[in-house]
Amino acid sequence: MSRRSNPWVKSEQKLGFRAARVPILLALLPVLCGIAQAACAAALLAAVLRAGPRGGAVAAYGLGFLAAAGARAWLQMQVERQNFELGAAARRRLRGSALAALLALGPAALRGRHSAELAATAVDRVEAMDGFHARWIPATALAVLGPALVALAALRADWRAGLTLVLAGLFVPFAMAVAGIGAGVAAKKQFLAMTRLQVRFLDRIRGISTIVLSGRAADEARALADAARELRLRTMRVLRMAFLSSTALDLAAAASLIIIVLRFSPVLHGHGALAPTALFCVLLVPEFFAPLRGFSAVYADRMGAEAVAEEFAALPAAPPAVPAVDIRSVAAHGVTLAFENVTFGWSPDRPPVVQNLSFKVGRGEMLLLTGASGAGKSTIMDLILGFLAPQSGRITINAAEMETLIPAARTKMLGWIGQRPVIFAGTIEENIRFARPAASETELADAVSHAHLTELIASLPQGLKTPIGEGGFGVSGGQAQRIAIARAFLKNAPLLLLDEPTAHLDPAVERDVLESLKHLAAGRTVVLATHSTMAMDFAKTIGAKRLDLDALRYASWRSVTA
Amino acid sequence: MSPMRRIFSLWLRDVGWLALALALALAALAAAVALSGVSGRYLAASLMGMAALAPLSLQFIGTARVVLRYLERVLSHEAIFRALADLRVWLFRGLAASSAGGLGFRRAGDTLARLVNDVDTLDGLFLRIFVPGMSAALLVPILAWALWREHAGAVLVLLPFLYIAFYLPVLAARTAGDNAGKAGLAMAGLRSAALDALHGLREVKIFEAEGRMLAAVQAREAALLAAQRELVARASAFNARAFVLAQAGLLFAILLGFFGVPVAAIVAVLVLTTAFETVLGLPRAGLLYGQAKAAAARVVQAAEAKPPVPEPDAPAAMPSRNSIAFEHVSFRYGPDRPFVFENLSLQVPQGARVAILGPSGAGKSTIAALLLKLAAPVSGQIRLGGTDILQLSTEALRHRIAYLGQTTHLFADTIRNNLLLGDPAADEARLWAAVDAAQVADVVRALPEGLDAWVGEGGATLSGGQGRRLALARTLLMDAPILVLDEPCAGLDAATEQEFLKVLNQATEGRTVLLILHRLTGVEQLDRIWRLTGGALISAAG
Repeated sequence: MSRRSNPWVKSEQKLGFRAARVPILLALLPVLCGIAQAACAAALLAAVLRAGPRGGAVAAYGLGFLAAAGARAWLQMQVERQNFELGAAARRRLRGSALAALLALGPAALRGRHSAELAATAVDRVEAMDGFHARWIPATALAVLGPALVALAALRADWRAGLTLVLAGLFVPFAMAVAGIGAGVAAKKQFLAMTRLQVRFLDRIRGISTIVLSGRAADEARALADAARELRLRTMRVLRMAFLSSTALDLAAAASLIIIVLRFSPVLHGHGALAPTALFCVLLVPEFFAPLRGFSAVYADRMGAEAVAEEFAALPAAPPAVPAVDIRSVAAHGVTLAFENVTFGWSPDRPPVVQNLSFKVGRGEMLLLTGASGAGKSTIMDLILGFLAPQSGRITINAAEMETLIPAARTKMLGWIGQRPVIFAGTIEENIRFARPAASETELADAVSHAHLTELIASLPQGLKTPIGEGGFGVSGGQAQRIAIARAFLKNAPLLLLDEPTAHLDPAVERDVLESLKHLAAGRTVVLATHSTMAMDFAKTIGAKRLDLDALRYASWRSVTA
Repeated sequence: MSPMRRIFSLWLRDVGWLALALALALAALAAAVALSGVSGRYLAASLMGMAALAPLSLQFIGTARVVLRYLERVLSHEAIFRALADLRVWLFRGLAASSAGGLGFRRAGDTLARLVNDVDTLDGLFLRIFVPGMSAALLVPILAWALWREHAGAVLVLLPFLYIAFYLPVLAARTAGDNAGKAGLAMAGLRSAALDALHGLREVKIFEAEGRMLAAVQAREAALLAAQRELVARASAFNARAFVLAQAGLLFAILLGFFGVPVAAIVAVLVLTTAFETVLGLPRAGLLYGQAKAAAARVVQAAEAKPPVPEPDAPAAMPSRNSIAFEHVSFRYGPDRPFVFENLSLQVPQGARVAILGPSGAGKSTIAALLLKLAAPVSGQIRLGGTDILQLSTEALRHRIAYLGQTTHLFADTIRNNLLLGDPAADEARLWAAVDAAQVADVVRALPEGLDAWVGEGGATLSGGQGRRLALARTLLMDAPILVLDEPCAGLDAATEQEFLKVLNQATEGRTVLLILHRLTGVEQLDRIWRLTGGALISAAG
């Protein structure tokens, strides 16, 4: 499976090797220093045995050894830093493109996927690619070129010792491939288990209060222990195979050392002249295997990339950019929205949620959408927002079909208040300004007062700068909703979508909020989905048209059965 | 106890595996040293024209080295994964004890980073610090003995060895200090930013925040890269230092050969090459120690945070009756925050059905939080069956109460598994009864997979009202004598709401019910109605 590596990994590999050309050449210099060190050490040891150079030459070799060691240390440092930059650049590139694609797609990309899963792809899977670019690519190149250099040196010194190293060197990739194929299959399974464990952790931690208050913490802890045990078993299955390739290396290193020692010892008897060569070859053995060891240590990084590739392939592709010729200008004020025979369903085997729906909301008018929960109110909102595309029919804004508008122009016209606003971690002000960071202080203050947040903010010691956590700690459901309303005020869009904006509010607050909404609705085209009687009454006083989805469904059911 | 020692003490549970892994590491190292020593001696002896050892021992030691090394790798990883699994579960239990009120300011993304990243960082502590460090320590006397045998002066070579194996790592750990923590924090920050962008994707699109969110993520990424770059620079500098020292030590050993036994020099050089190879990674690992220490501190802090209300030392026996009484209770969320209510009193007799009404933000939900011991009153007492709940075991207390909160979480799991959280032993009939009572049976029946349909993240595949009703069904399944329902009808349309409240009257027969509502519909059968306004409870009817 890993042999037929997928095209994504192939293209990453190509990019990686192209970026790593200079660092790879740089990484060869320490190998040359190592060979020089071995030569100096061999000469010195031969001198010790009274079989090598004497006098001044000894000092020269000693200094040469130190100089080579110093140069090698310095070069190695530069290599490590260069390799880090390779990984950093690759991570920036990958993370940027993955996030940009997800952000461009919007909630459609999230359907059926856990946001934690997608975040894990953008954060951890991209981090996992660091090993591929910063370690695996340079190590792979070095594992071929480094031993080749060392083997050349050994061949020049003694062809039999050199040949021993070459043969040992050829055995290593063979054994690694055999072990690696098994490891590759297992590595993918392990990654899947890891992702599941992570998603499970985040989900359980988000809902930890529900777990604890249901008295199920002990059971959940046990379930997590089981999941962790499964992860261990899977990981160990990968590692048992992966370690075999390291073992092949240990075997080749030990065997070639023994063979070289055995090759020289009988011929050495009394022949001092051979001593420097013999010692040189023996000292080259660790130099020869060091790059291979380095490669074996990062072999898992390549396997990791193979598994990551599937995560990246599962990411939805970014939507095609709308050609510039299609840009339509739509007057910012006074928007007419129309549905013409729009049909939408989640899948062919389920009945469509919206069937053959037509309506028109003129500029400055309000449409009241009613129907039992699940009748399709939120789906209609998502269709208008452009998160979903109708299977048939047209949705038009000022007679221009939605799909022909560039997304940015469409978004500018849309304001939205939903059932469950997302409160980002940050201050109250940051959360309101989220709608328009460049808003002036006055505009912000206006939005705060229109959303009836003034009193709340005045009661907080830190005022607008009060931090609110993920999920809106410290603000009640009603207050979170008012922050969403303040956002809509700040955005000031001509078409306003209100998706059950008062679902969680008590009557006093609801009246208050509806008053604010009346203010906001003035002069705008509004679609209000609700089943609150107070909100319906409010819509009627404004003179809204009503579209009852239950009645529509009933009517179409009757027409079918009649 | 320091965070590090706390982690070590947790690992002691797997002491057998850890000891075995360590023993194998030592044996593998001894075999490696022996292999170098014997081949050096053999080669040198041949050169000097002396009688040589049998090559058979070389092959034996070589094989032992290869096999031991493999076993060491497998066993040390097995040991660490066992220890890490224990750590994760311990962390979850700790969080469960301290975070019942929700994660609050401790962000879920951050907590996830703690769980996964920090716990993973801690495995490096064992594999790259503990094992090689112990091996190096045990190697010292062996090396000293071997070198002393060859030449007394050779023992001096131990100095650079000791410096690299013990002094440099400590130095690295000390200088890494905050920087390691910085990298960990930057990682957590990056994760939170990415989660924010994707979790709030709808808001991001509507407010055209794509560019801003991407910039925020990239800013966190840049911070992470900067912290990592600094770590790499330091690690490579330490590496270079250790390398130069090791090479100087080797040169010293060679030069000693001019004064002593030549054979010894060769043996010493080959043995030292192996010995240095095993410790050259230690200074770098020292940097990791700083990282692991920061990770350990975060993990321990998250797991050992105090529960919001301390447990009694000797819990009182659970009262037999299920009446609830609030007596002169005052509460505020912090000394600098205003009082939510002061001197509040409330009686709910056993089996009574009571509603608390009031505008949002009046503190209705706080009453439930106090009853569940998610917070402790500043003054006054809350009694269950006459006993102060502070005297009761929190777990036993919560066992008596089935609670539906406003932020009840739906798990990314099947409908069935979400319901079973209420009662793991519930059979098919009971599940359907609960689903019926919560007015969500039609929705479930319409799904092709029925009870086994997948509920998306936070109930994303369901509408708001449907998710809410499912949570309600789960609460109704819980077999507790007290039922606390906080806005059970939020997200229901008027007709469904009335239907539900009628069913509720039957479903809760004989239970003590506390309903928290913002308005009445008229179909509730209530024994008593309280209205909470301006921090005071006023009896409205009953």
